[in-house]
Amino acid sequence: MRDYVLGYLDSTVTPGEAGNVLWALIYIVLIFTGVSIAVMSMNWLERKILAHMQVRLGPMRVGPHGLLQPIADAIKLLIKEDIMPAEADKALFWMAPVVIVITSFAVYTVIPFGPAHAVTDMNIGLLFMLGVSSLSVLGIIMAGWASNSHYPLMGALRSSAQMVSYEVAMGMAVVSAVLMTSMNAAGTGTLSMIGIVQAQEQQQIWFIFKFFPLGLLAFFIFAVAMVAETNRAPFDLPEAESELVAGFHTEYSGFRWSLFFLAEYAAMIAVSSIAVTLWLGGWMRPFAHLLNGRTWELTFSAVPALTFFVLAALAARATIRFPKHPLMRIQRIGLAGFGAVLGGIGLVLLVPPVRDRVQDISWFTFKVAVFMYMYIWYRGTFPRYRFDQLMQLGWKFMIPTGIAVLIGTALVGVLWG
Amino acid sequence: MGVNRFLRKIFLVDLLQGLALTFRYQDPREIYTEQYPLQRPQVAERYRGAPRLNVNAETNETLCIACDLCALACPERLIIVSSERNEKTRRKELTNFTYDLSRCMFCGLCEDACPTDALELTQDFELANYTREGAIWDRQTLEQGPQPTVYKR
Repeated sequence: MRDYVLGYLDSTVTPGEAGNVLWALIYIVLIFTGVSIAVMSMNWLERKILAHMQVRLGPMRVGPHGLLQPIADAIKLLIKEDIMPAEADKALFWMAPVVIVITSFAVYTVIPFGPAHAVTDMNIGLLFMLGVSSLSVLGIIMAGWASNSHYPLMGALRSSAQMVSYEVAMGMAVVSAVLMTSMNAAGTGTLSMIGIVQAQEQQQIWFIFKFFPLGLLAFFIFAVAMVAETNRAPFDLPEAESELVAGFHTEYSGFRWSLFFLAEYAAMIAVSSIAVTLWLGGWMRPFAHLLNGRTWELTFSAVPALTFFVLAALAARATIRFPKHPLMRIQRIGLAGFGAVLGGIGLVLLVPPVRDRVQDISWFTFKVAVFMYMYIWYRGTFPRYRFDQLMQLGWKFMIPTGIAVLIGTALVGVLWG
Repeated sequence: MGVNRFLRKIFLVDLLQGLALTFRYQDPREIYTEQYPLQRPQVAERYRGAPRLNVNAETNETLCIACDLCALACPERLIIVSSERNEKTRRKELTNFTYDLSRCMFCGLCEDACPTDALELTQDFELANYTREGAIWDRQTLEQGPQPTVYKR
């Protein structure tokens, strides 16, 4: 038993491959909590960053700088009345959020946070991810149909049309990256998520820079299509607030609505991790092949800890500048405590064994975090597309360019590869 | 379509400019909103808010001579000036002054009509009340002015 638990710690493969059920379960729980925490912090970050982009303050009252706002929101959503429209299709109405949450969390089984840090490694990992994540269209249509109301139905129709048409362009971009993985001695590519990153490690280049500008173009197409896939601004027509109230989840309230929210953000993180895996070298650190050697290794391995120290320093600065009023004392203490926790995490990350284990996870997380910031940034900047403009962009630009990039990659690979 | 415009479109220059703009606005110094009860807004100098009956700073006597010009100037007829004649000095003296804020539109005509600068529309803007009667201010309230709870940062 002891060997079964501790034996895995020395292995270099994922628990799924090692056949270790216990560790697979531990990984699943860890990923589920991690994603939930990420969604909560995204909630706060989105409101805060969006507010600052709009020259506003954002949440300031619940906890220091509104840090407890996501928790307050969660409590509010949980104790809210759960309304089901009288004319709704009960079974479908109940199932729709469940389907969406399951599909958006199921894809996390193959996301590689590190060479050994994934629940499992499938040889069809990428196909599995795209397939399962596009199942969420089903949930959206179910939600829209079951509500038996006009706005949700319109939202669901728009959403499904949009997701289906952008999936094609996305597929073209993805295939061109998969083609690049076959540029090795054996000439065989791979669909395994871990295999794709390992191919980039072998070829010593991130696929975004490969066959310049073909890799970059494919990445660009994917980056646009993934925003459309997750129904985010500027492609948020399905939930266009000014037109359709909230789109397919107009009739949902309370906990069911929060499931849609959770699924949306989980899907955003999942799609961003596909982009990171395919084009940005997954868990590889930047300049892994240019700047190698012991000194550089050490410098780069200190980066995760340094990030936490910077966050702790920001919290400390905010504590010092916090209003000095007796009523604000609890908030000041809370903020100081939060900063201390961040600093503590940073110190733990400096311990050599932890530092080595956590490195690949943190690089992956950094890259995904950049994408999450981009999502918020787009939302703060771009006005919404009209539906015909959206379809025009999808079918008349993205898909032809995607096909061209695919053919180009194949040609370049065959002729000069 | 000129080459320039075509290139702008291809390299998404307009979108990048927009992104740069929103990125710059994230600087906390750019924030325009304030946290109201803690931070109080700077009201414009000529803002017309809560009315006040001014008193002589030294003698603490009202400046109002009960001439009733403000009541005549008021388009809403919401000012009632009551006075009685002092038999000794043969002058009118103010007894009460009611000002119905619930009907006031802050046009400032009363302020303009006042010959002694006794009635003045100040920059105070917190006029909320729990009752309708609370919106009708008498002489004492008018001389004190509104007294909102002050929160400090």
